[in-house]
Order: sequence, then structure tokens, then C-alpha cells
Amino acid sequence: MTADVRLAGIGMAARFEGDQAFLDVRGEADARSVPLLSALFDAVIASGCPSVILDLTEVDSMDAAGLAVTTSAAAALVASGGHLTIRSLSSEVERALDLAGLSGLISLELPTVPPKPAQGDLRVPGLVSPTSPTSSDPGSRTRAISAIPANEDVVDGALRLVVALARATVGGADGASVTLRRHGRLTTVAASDQTVLDMDAEQYATEEGPCVDATVAGRWFHAESLNEETRWPAFTPKARTLGINAILSSPLLARDQPVGALNIYSRTSRAFAGKAQELAAVFAAEASNVLTLAGTDVTEDQLSGRVQGALRTREIIAEAQGIIMEREDIGDKEAFDVMRRSSRSSSRPLRETARDVVNSTHHTSRDAESGTGENHG
Amino acid sequence: MVNLPANSLDDYRRDALLSHGELWLRYFELGGMSTALEVEAFLYEALTPSPHDRDLIAHALNERFVELGGNHPVPYADDDD
Repeated sequence: MTADVRLAGIGMAARFEGDQAFLDVRGEADARSVPLLSALFDAVIASGCPSVILDLTEVDSMDAAGLAVTTSAAAALVASGGHLTIRSLSSEVERALDLAGLSGLISLELPTVPPKPAQGDLRVPGLVSPTSPTSSDPGSRTRAISAIPANEDVVDGALRLVVALARATVGGADGASVTLRRHGRLTTVAASDQTVLDMDAEQYATEEGPCVDATVAGRWFHAESLNEETRWPAFTPKARTLGINAILSSPLLARDQPVGALNIYSRTSRAFAGKAQELAAVFAAEASNVLTLAGTDVTEDQLSGRVQGALRTREIIAEAQGIIMEREDIGDKEAFDVMRRSSRSSSRPLRETARDVVNSTHHTSRDAESGTGENHG
Repeated sequence: MVNLPANSLDDYRRDALLSHGELWLRYFELGGMSTALEVEAFLYEALTPSPHDRDLIAHALNERFVELGGNHPVPYADDDD
């Protein structure tokens, strides 16, 4: 792994030194790199690192999304007593930051020579290729994360980054992986070490386990202690043989459809408390954003079906709105609020409330017309 | 999100595991009239939505949180607190 890390023309790296986090971005901070930048910011903010240095010396331009992410990270850091420093050489980046009103929130440094990461900073303890031996270095004061192989595709690279970040920042994590359903089969696309790969493989082989269930059901599965786990009788003994005692699998969604899981493993029972779960949710959300942008395994048919469904629902809601407006002699917004309050108090989707309203009118008119089979437009 | 004093709409969107596109579709489904780009600007607080638009976005997010097993964490315009 070298320091010159590229992701389809964009290189991104993060390293932690003491209470400082260094984020290096190369190329353009554009639509493709922004979710990664956002994931990096979330990771360092969530890990409680107060001082973040964003190195943009090799970035020529930054678009609105990049600015939005940077602004929100700067605000979050300031709110938690931290600080963002931006190193930049580009007058265009400087101007964009000025225009965004960021000057009050950040420090801008203009180094004469682009700072180079110290030798060895970009080693990746949380990230190894499936064939290399696990390198664990718990005593090291310098934690380095990231590094995306130049020849890998963007999505897998981004997911490797998420795995490395999760492994390094989620308290109690001994390993992490991302499972994706590709071509109808579950596959591990990123893993922190061989044990994690084996854990995932056992779940695919037995067709059970938290990672399989999270991928299929699209919700969280948390095995707090495998000693007491009864949900996966074939898989659990194999996991314990591999020394794993707690698993947290968070669903990954692409355009709202479950497509995979972020799995975090620990050798310690009950390793994942509230903070670890929050962090896992952050990383799962970031990985989901990456997958959504990449359009993973969501076909055009599925998408067009979703849009058609939304159009039908919109019509039903509009019809119900009209009925309530007439019935209660109120405006359209007030009629919507009636349904919204009903939906909230019953914890049912508003479309179901709307359907009830529309159906009640159909029944009423049918009653009135003694079942003559009226036709509603 | 962690350590944030107040959640922006975009923070809620992330926590709800929704893409900008999917949130816009859900907003549109509820009868929203603003474009996807405008909704994105509301989320990043670059534009201020009308109270009704804000409620539509809040409700789209809240329905998603209910799907995920939560309640209605996003406040509405007529909520007092």
C-alpha cells in the first residue's frame, strides 16, 4: 500500500495522531468524492477527535455538495468544542469557502509546500487484503485508516474505506466487513481480516446469521452474546469456534431496498453498547449512500415501479385531501394536516389514512346508491 | 449523529438511511410540489421551505423512522417545543 492513493481519480486518506485527525483529499471534491468526505468527517467527529485538518492542497475545485459537507462538519466540530483547519493552495477553493461564509468557522492555512504524510502513516491496520496475514498493532499511537487500491472500482473502494473506519473507530470492534447481494448471491466485498471473511463465509454456507438476516430483512440484527444466542443454531457454534462472541449487523440500503449489511464482530460478549451502535448506524448510512449513488443492484424496472407507485399514492392522497376539504370546509394544507396528525397518532403511513378516507366515501356513496356500482375517477 | 446539539433535516435523512432521491420521492408521494434540487437545498438549509413543505419533509422522514421501528422524531411546524 503506498501513500499515493487514488479512487477513480480521487484520492482520499485519513490518519489519526493523538487528538488530531488529518484528512487528505486529492483531485476534485465533486459528487463522487463527497459521500466519502462526508463519511470521513462523520467518523472523526463521532470518534470524538476535536481537531481536524482537512488537506486540500491537491484539490483544484470544490462544488456545492463538497462545501455543504465541509460546512456541516465545521459546524458540528465547533458545536462539540473542536475545530476544523483547512489547508489549501487553490484560490478557487479559497473563494468557494469564503462565499460559503466558512471563514468564521474554520482556520485556513496556506502552506508554501504541500505537506507530505510522514513515512508509514498510511499503513492500514483495519484493512488487509483477504490473502495477507492480519496485522494488529494495538499499542501503536498512530492509527491510520483508508487507502484505496488504484485498480479497484469506486464502490468496493468506498466500502473498504467504510470497513476500515468502522473497524478503527467502533469501540469493541475486532473486525468488520461488508456483505452485498450481487448477482443473486451474498458476497463479502470488504473485510478487515481473515477471521471476518471466515465468519461471513460460514453465514453464507449455513444460510443463517445476523449478516444474512440483515441483508434479507433490511433491519438491524445484534447478537449481544453468542453464548446465549438461539436464533442461528447452525451458524453460532462455528462463530464461537472462530473466537467471535458478539456481532452487530446493520442493513445497507440502495434506493431504499436492502442490498447488504455492514457487519462488526467482537471477541468480547456485549461489546457493542449505545455509542458503538450509533457509530455503526453512521457507517451503515454512509455505505448506503455510496451504494445508492452507485445504483447497486436496483434495476431500472424496480425504479420505474417505485416511481409509478409514488404517483398512484400521490393521487390517492390528493383525492382524500379533496374529500376532507369538502367535508370539513377547510383548505388543502389544513386537510393534509388532518391526515398527518391522524397518521402520527396511529403510527400508520399517511397513505393508509388517505385510503381509508377515500374508501369511506366509496362505501357511503354505495350505501346511498344501494350498490349500483358507481365509478370513481 | 453524535454530539450535535440540534439535528438538521439532512442529519435526520442520514439517520433514516434515505438517499436524497428517495426522500424526494417520498415527499412527492405525499403531494410535495418542490423539485428534488429545491428539497436538497431545504435539507442543507440553503433555502428555507414553507411551513407546509417542511411538514411534508418531516412527515416523509417520520414515516421512515416508523418503518425502522422508531417514533416521530422530526418536529412539525405546529409542534410547540
